[in-house]
Amino acid sequence: MEHTQSRDACWHSRHHSKMAVCIAVIAKENYPLYIRSVPVQNELKFHYTVHTSLDVVEEKISAVGKAMADQRELYLGLLYPTEDYKVYGYVTNSKVKFVIVVDSSNTSLRDNEIRSMFRKLHNSFTDVMCNPFYNPGDTIQSKAFDSMVSAMMVQAS
Amino acid sequence: MSVPDYMQCAEDHQTVLVVVQPVGIVPEDQFFRIYKRIASVAQVSIRDSQRNLYIRYRHHYLPENNEWGDFQTHRKVVGLISVTTCGSAKEWPQTLDRFHGQKEVFGATLYDSRLLVFGLQGEIAEQQRTDVAFYSSYDDCPNVEKRVEDFVESIFIVLESKRLDRATDKSGDKIPLLCVPFEKKDFVGLDTDSRHYKKRCQGRMRKHVGDLCLQAGMLQDALVHYHMAVELLRSVNDFLWLGAALEGLCSASVIFHYPGGTAGGAAGRKPSLAQGQGQAADAGKRHRPGALTANGISADTSSEIGRAKNCLGPEDIIEKYKEAISYYGKYKNAGVIELEACVKAVRVLAIQKRAMEASEFLQNAVYINLGQLSEEEKIQRYSILSELYHLIGFHRKSAFFKRVAAMQCVAPTIPEPGWRACYKLLLETLPGYSLSLDPKDFSKGTHRGWAAVQMRLLHELVYASRRMGNPGLSVRHLSFLLQTMLDFLSDQEKKEVTQSLENYTSKCPGGMEVLTLPDGLKLPPVAFTKLPIIRSVKLLDLPVSLRPHKQKGLLENNMSTKSPFIYSPIIMHTRGEERNKNIEFQWVQGEVCEVQLMVYNPMPFELRVEHMGLLTSGVEFEALPAALFLPAESGLYPVTLVGVPRTAGNITVTGYHTSVFGVTSDCLLEGLPSVITSGCMVEVIPSLPRLQLSTSLPRSAHPLQPSKEELSSSVSVQLFNGETQHLTITLENIGSEDLETLEVASKTCNTKEKLFGEFLSWDLEEAVSQLPLKPGQSVTLTVNIKVRLDFSGGENLLQDLNDDGISVTGLPISSPLRQVLKPRAETKPLGSESSKTDYNHVKVGLTPLISPFLPYFL
Repeated sequence: MEHTQSRDACWHSRHHSKMAVCIAVIAKENYPLYIRSVPVQNELKFHYTVHTSLDVVEEKISAVGKAMADQRELYLGLLYPTEDYKVYGYVTNSKVKFVIVVDSSNTSLRDNEIRSMFRKLHNSFTDVMCNPFYNPGDTIQSKAFDSMVSAMMVQAS
Repeated sequence: MSVPDYMQCAEDHQTVLVVVQPVGIVPEDQFFRIYKRIASVAQVSIRDSQRNLYIRYRHHYLPENNEWGDFQTHRKVVGLISVTTCGSAKEWPQTLDRFHGQKEVFGATLYDSRLLVFGLQGEIAEQQRTDVAFYSSYDDCPNVEKRVEDFVESIFIVLESKRLDRATDKSGDKIPLLCVPFEKKDFVGLDTDSRHYKKRCQGRMRKHVGDLCLQAGMLQDALVHYHMAVELLRSVNDFLWLGAALEGLCSASVIFHYPGGTAGGAAGRKPSLAQGQGQAADAGKRHRPGALTANGISADTSSEIGRAKNCLGPEDIIEKYKEAISYYGKYKNAGVIELEACVKAVRVLAIQKRAMEASEFLQNAVYINLGQLSEEEKIQRYSILSELYHLIGFHRKSAFFKRVAAMQCVAPTIPEPGWRACYKLLLETLPGYSLSLDPKDFSKGTHRGWAAVQMRLLHELVYASRRMGNPGLSVRHLSFLLQTMLDFLSDQEKKEVTQSLENYTSKCPGGMEVLTLPDGLKLPPVAFTKLPIIRSVKLLDLPVSLRPHKQKGLLENNMSTKSPFIYSPIIMHTRGEERNKNIEFQWVQGEVCEVQLMVYNPMPFELRVEHMGLLTSGVEFEALPAALFLPAESGLYPVTLVGVPRTAGNITVTGYHTSVFGVTSDCLLEGLPSVITSGCMVEVIPSLPRLQLSTSLPRSAHPLQPSKEELSSSVSVQLFNGETQHLTITLENIGSEDLETLEVASKTCNTKEKLFGEFLSWDLEEAVSQLPLKPGQSVTLTVNIKVRLDFSGGENLLQDLNDDGISVTGLPISSPLRQVLKPRAETKPLGSESSKTDYNHVKVGLTPLISPFLPYFL
């Protein structure tokens, strides 16, 4: 499906570059550890989107896993495009998944920018895990993680 | 063509379409019985050639779909079988007319037709007509299948002739242009002599011939024709037909590579009765008889073009499908074709186990615009999408689309919303969201699945079941929500959910039975184990006055013969059974027994628990229910539940039973691993008599403090040395058992027994003669208290008395004045206590031992 660049899209991208509309962290057992979206009212819709994208994530992991498990790349790329959104995925070696949803009209967002967003997420997550008071499997309550995610999200207008 | 056929697969391209219709009024079940028998002839081996013909049957087919028959030949109806009931010869001409009328509808494309008449006998039925078959009744028609086979063979003959006709057509001149319905107007007035036009005609015709070959069972030829058509059409940029030619190529290749079919389970093609074998793949490999001529294609195609070129490899199939679909996408009127092609490709990919690419195809399929769809069609579309996602293993996506289909069933635009269908579809989505309806799955470990989504789904289930008119189901689902998602509900949501629960249960109270839905699904019961949360269960001993005591004399018997060894150096530990280890005390049948529970209330508002009672097993137990009002988010709160065992034996407290918000739940302790309990099993001994003692003397002002295990009450009396006092003890049997034996003993509780000597005496003869004492009766016992202190010992006596704390008043020892002694005698009873066993510890005293007949226990 082709996206044609229109003037509106350009304007949009200037304002919303490097911004996601939803960011989620999913545990190994496929339940959410952290999910945040903008705008907040429609959060359930994003729950559904991220939940269904897990199918694709699992497929990608299993597809590569058989041959060269240790060489599997962490960044999974574009999981699937919908009419309004594009969903990207990333899996760590401990099978924790990160999912970023961006607006489809945000065409200026390049692959390396998405990769760097994932890298930041991963580093922050590692910090959360290093906290001795954090039990793996609990939801993430860390303020530092929150602020890092806020910096990556679209500003609610 | 507006309705896509979602069940079509690639191998359907090699089938011929036969429509089976009723003429006039035919009973539905009879019609479908015949239809099934006809449809069983799905594959026919043609005599004298080694080819197989495959047939598809439909009992309902829109005539407008027929118009696409030139585009893809498997879409046009080539055979018609009409089924009719005809009772008498008079109706016969009418019936025949109607039959002809039906033929007209499909007239343009029909190769042959048959009429099956049931119920007609007599002269007309004796006619031997090839196109009409007469049977006396629906049950007596043995050779229907044979007839159908003959019919199919006649179709084949026509098909073959058409194929040869087209294939051998002189090239160049007068090849008609095949069109699809929406194209017709585009070609009016075009120059029919241009090379461009002629090539277009040729290309399309070549593709058509390929279709016919495929239907006629000639796979290799079909491949050749398709390849040629592709080249021709590509050169003229005839995209729609180019797509069709590519799709034809793919279908033929799929048939070659996957002889089992891509329909995923449904397609067992049964061989015809005439001959057992015959697969398309084999048929395709054999050399074809029959010649093609003249316009450059020779009969022996295998020699002309290398075999390897003909068939596409598995990856190429998908590439070509993609290409074809992209061409179809350029024509908005070809939406149905595009959608069907997507579905076919997905089925092939599912077999190839390439889920990622299949999902891309499906993603594309979602966005194909088919114009205005009716609600039914939308529901069907989403259901099929859901099934296809399930086929490739994307269960969450499948559940998502199923949910969309469910919502579509009850869209506001539908005049009669299908709540039942909606509910059924929603139930099917549950596994995709890791939800089951069994609360046991959620009682251990971390929560499975996405809570927010699951809650939404459960709310929808509740709503759908309510609209469906089944309040019991709503109550069950809402209880399930409350039980499993309690931790995830916000305070506001907790209030809302409980309010709606109370609302529903006012009409239909919830219970612990298994609900069975009409289609057989069972909904297990949901017990509220968190409302309130039980922290510990403790069985309490009976109050001191009611405790039974063992009779000492029989103790030896109880060191029973558990084993023949008197001593063994090996000590066997019995591990486990902590919960079921016997508690040291016993309960008595007929007495009120208590169990203490520590509970707390997790809700942010006051919790009303009605009818809280115990669940027990082993002994008949009459539980006396209690009602509780727990404050909001209370801490640990003690609750005592009581009951009366009605028979003797071993009783186990298995759980408790509550009624909260109108829903009754039975919670079993074994399902609650976090409950602390020091033992749940207690022995219940048979009833014992109850006795009440009263005395004639007044109660003592300074009662001695008895030890905890003993019951006592004090009577004090002041006597002078040498004085005698009578004490009447009345024993009244206030229980329901007979009193069998009575023993009285006295014990001085200080060490100076010798000093006082025996100053108590009584006569049991009369009391014993009145035994056994029936309930309600009483017996009196007279105790004589005679004080006889021997003061002749001199100083020592007084000294000793002083040491004992017995006050001695009076003048110095040597004085022969009176001395006053105050012995303190205690006896039991004073109306307020009733005891089962009187084990009275009397300081200087009286210990009656009373027992019923039962020697075992006291």
